[in-house]
Amino acid sequence: MSAAATAPTATSSTSAASRGILLMLLLPGLVALVITFLLPLIWLLRASFTSSTMSAFGGGDLTTQSYSTVLFDPFYWRVTWNTLVLGFNVAIFAVVLSYPIALFLARTESRFRGVLTALAVAPLLTSSVVRTYGWMVILGDRGVINSTLQSLSVTSGVIKLTNNSFGATVALIEILMPYAILAMLSGFGRLNAQLEEAAAMLGANRFKVFTRIILPLSLPGVLTAALLVFVLAISSFVTPRLMGGGRVFVLGTEVFNEATVTLNWPLAAALSVMLLVLFSSIILLYQRALRALEA
Amino acid sequence: MADHHVIIDNLVKTYPGAQKPSVDHVSFSLPRGEMLALLGPSGCGKTTILRMIAGLIAPTSGAIRLDGEDVSSIAVYKRNMGMVFQAYALFPHMTIARNISFGLEMRKVGRAEREERVRKALDLVKLTGLGDRKVSQLSGGQQQRAAIARSLVIEPELLLLDEPLSNLDAKLRDEMRDEIRDIQARTGVTAIFVTHDQDEALSMADRLAVMSAGRLEQIGTPREIFDRPQTEFVASFIGAGTVFEGKVTEHGLAMVEDLKELRFVGDAPLGSPVKLMIRPHRLRLLTDAGQPNRFSGTVEHIVYRGQTLTLNVRCGSRLLQADLPTHAGMLPERGSTVTLSVAPEDVTLVGQVSP
Amino acid sequence: MQENALLARITWNTLITLLYFFLLAPIIIVFIISFDTRQYLAFPPESFSLGSYVKVFHNAKFISAFWRSLIIGGIVGVVAVSAGMLLSLSLVRYKFRGRAAVNFLILAPFLVPHIVLAVGIMLVIAPLGLLDSYPGIVLAHLGITIPYTVRTITMSLMAVDTRVEEAALVHGASPRMVFWRITLPLVRPGLIAGGVIAFLISFDEATISLFIVSVKASTLPTEIYHYLEYSTDPQIAALSVILILISVGVVVAVEKLIGLRRAL
Repeated sequence: MSAAATAPTATSSTSAASRGILLMLLLPGLVALVITFLLPLIWLLRASFTSSTMSAFGGGDLTTQSYSTVLFDPFYWRVTWNTLVLGFNVAIFAVVLSYPIALFLARTESRFRGVLTALAVAPLLTSSVVRTYGWMVILGDRGVINSTLQSLSVTSGVIKLTNNSFGATVALIEILMPYAILAMLSGFGRLNAQLEEAAAMLGANRFKVFTRIILPLSLPGVLTAALLVFVLAISSFVTPRLMGGGRVFVLGTEVFNEATVTLNWPLAAALSVMLLVLFSSIILLYQRALRALEA
Repeated sequence: MADHHVIIDNLVKTYPGAQKPSVDHVSFSLPRGEMLALLGPSGCGKTTILRMIAGLIAPTSGAIRLDGEDVSSIAVYKRNMGMVFQAYALFPHMTIARNISFGLEMRKVGRAEREERVRKALDLVKLTGLGDRKVSQLSGGQQQRAAIARSLVIEPELLLLDEPLSNLDAKLRDEMRDEIRDIQARTGVTAIFVTHDQDEALSMADRLAVMSAGRLEQIGTPREIFDRPQTEFVASFIGAGTVFEGKVTEHGLAMVEDLKELRFVGDAPLGSPVKLMIRPHRLRLLTDAGQPNRFSGTVEHIVYRGQTLTLNVRCGSRLLQADLPTHAGMLPERGSTVTLSVAPEDVTLVGQVSP
Repeated sequence: MQENALLARITWNTLITLLYFFLLAPIIIVFIISFDTRQYLAFPPESFSLGSYVKVFHNAKFISAFWRSLIIGGIVGVVAVSAGMLLSLSLVRYKFRGRAAVNFLILAPFLVPHIVLAVGIMLVIAPLGLLDSYPGIVLAHLGITIPYTVRTITMSLMAVDTRVEEAALVHGASPRMVFWRITLPLVRPGLIAGGVIAFLISFDEATISLFIVSVKASTLPTEIYHYLEYSTDPQIAALSVILILISVGVVVAVEKLIGLRRAL
């Protein structure tokens, strides 16, 4: 604990005593992170190459059986495809719907700006299970939309809005919008009213100010938001599972299914690795795109 | 010297990986109750010395003696020093009173005595009644007073001040200068302060230690430093002056470049090369034809400064700066030829030129 | 021209309002439904009552899961803040070999999907017999919360002027005293913010929890999840409102106390 005070000297010297203190400072956190982050990834990799005879306590032989299932079974092709489609749809709609809000928050001079910002990101304070439930209430067979339509006699039967990928997509869009808004807001730092005024004074009309000034300047923030939403969407499972009612098959739901229902842990591990690979390649692509955008 | 309160003995600090020492065999001492200024340009090692005395960094070699006892291996928090930091470093989460009483709490002083001493310290620095304020509620000058109170309330062996006036604006600086001097005199604490400002050093300190590149150049009273600088660095760092190089031709007389001869007061062996310095305000417009040390030249530039007039006079290849009192009757104009003179005792021997 | 501008303004404001409404729709609807008198999900409510709330308070499963969530969140908050404080001290105040690696290890959990971590953690703690146990779920939540606590505490710590600590040292405080009396109080906003974030993440987390716990250590979000697999009645709405109020309450209290945004 004495490190705080001796710090100015400690930064330049590495005496035995200060090294001991350093070790004490690092140990608890590092142990926790190794157990909860590093080891899990290694175990995951190991399990993905183990035969399905493994139990909680290990066992099983070295095999690539799980990977051949993931890579060659048409069912998992479809699952991967579904996942990507869900990710793209959610990312595009979440970004399109979040953009006006972020733009509004970045430019408003209203004294309620703080409150409005808080309101836009407040849903993050709510468990995704709770918000998914909200959407089940809205889109369900006897939910808000169907009841309203029926009482207005617009439709007589039930419009299927849940237990399919439509419901999952809508719910995920709303659930992930606060992330998109936050990412865009921090990316909109370069936008300011003066730039727009300058452009307007130089003769640009509203439309031109938007396409020539606002849009290019906000593009990096938009890209970051899209990436964030996409990676969160493809790794989600609570919302697709509950909104899909077991009829939406994406990587997340299949991982959960194999891990907790079928108890085929090697397959769950292989699917997770698959997800991780997808995840990393998207992030790499994003970095390329961002560099291209800045160049 | 042996009975001096503080003795700095051959102090050296070499940072790991550094080629040259930041502090290079520095020695000086202070009698009890003295205020010493460590003066020098930034990076000269003055702050490093102060931090070594405080105990915040360990010297590479050398000793720091308080009343004859070497304290350089005593931990910083057991040395009983008071220190005023450049930006005051008051504890932002405590009231002023708590800031001041912090050192007393650490020394396990009883509550009643603590309150009494904090009250007295607040009175001393003229912050009476402001003990309950937060740090952020005080002005810069008040924060500095609080920092001084915090370091004096523990009755330290030695008060250390690191650039104490640099964070204040010009007007407040003059006020605090006198204030600090006054507080130090009243408490009788031995004090060392670090500054890069010569005016500050000259006006506040009993003695000055001028440093350059890790070495102590000269130590002495303000007057000694100003009038009798022993090195060219000290001469040029403190006040303005024109330095001439020349050779001693007879006792107290040197031939210097571009001028015929210059009389000076000082000991330099015959034939030795010397550097001589003339302060601008020691030059006079020639009145008495019999005076030695005459310079004739053309006035190239005149700046009127109210009380003085600064002339740049071209004497051969050299530009001589002279500050003349404005009441001196006839004042020269630009382009006119003037003759200036300087008394031999105002020509200072600032160093031997290495052959 | 003038009319055009007005029209554009109205259109824009309407669009923003609608988007806000979409964003907040589930929370608003849940709030309304929670006061419905009927036993089954329907809309609009026929009449209003607190019946669903009463039922939640009589549901032993929810109540015990609630306390478990609270305890687990509390433990996670305290441990994540403690470990985060120590890690931050080492990262901010020391230069050492492997510092970059430590930094990466702290940031990396941000880069891995929770569901992948969940499978990994399950594989690690299953042989230790920690599935469906308090230590198991606390460990699982630590990995995803420590990065946040390190972030908030590091920010606070970097804002602490080391001269202030030096001043304490010179005036007689031992290094231990400097830590307790100066450093710790000065980073308190970061500690509290980190603790609150860690608590809320743990309290609301469902993905990892669903892999780790089933019965004995089930948390409230996992109980709600399992309940929703079979039924969507208004009881859940009441429970959801309670959960939202707790989260908002914690944040508002902290904001009032220390200013959360300053701490972040």
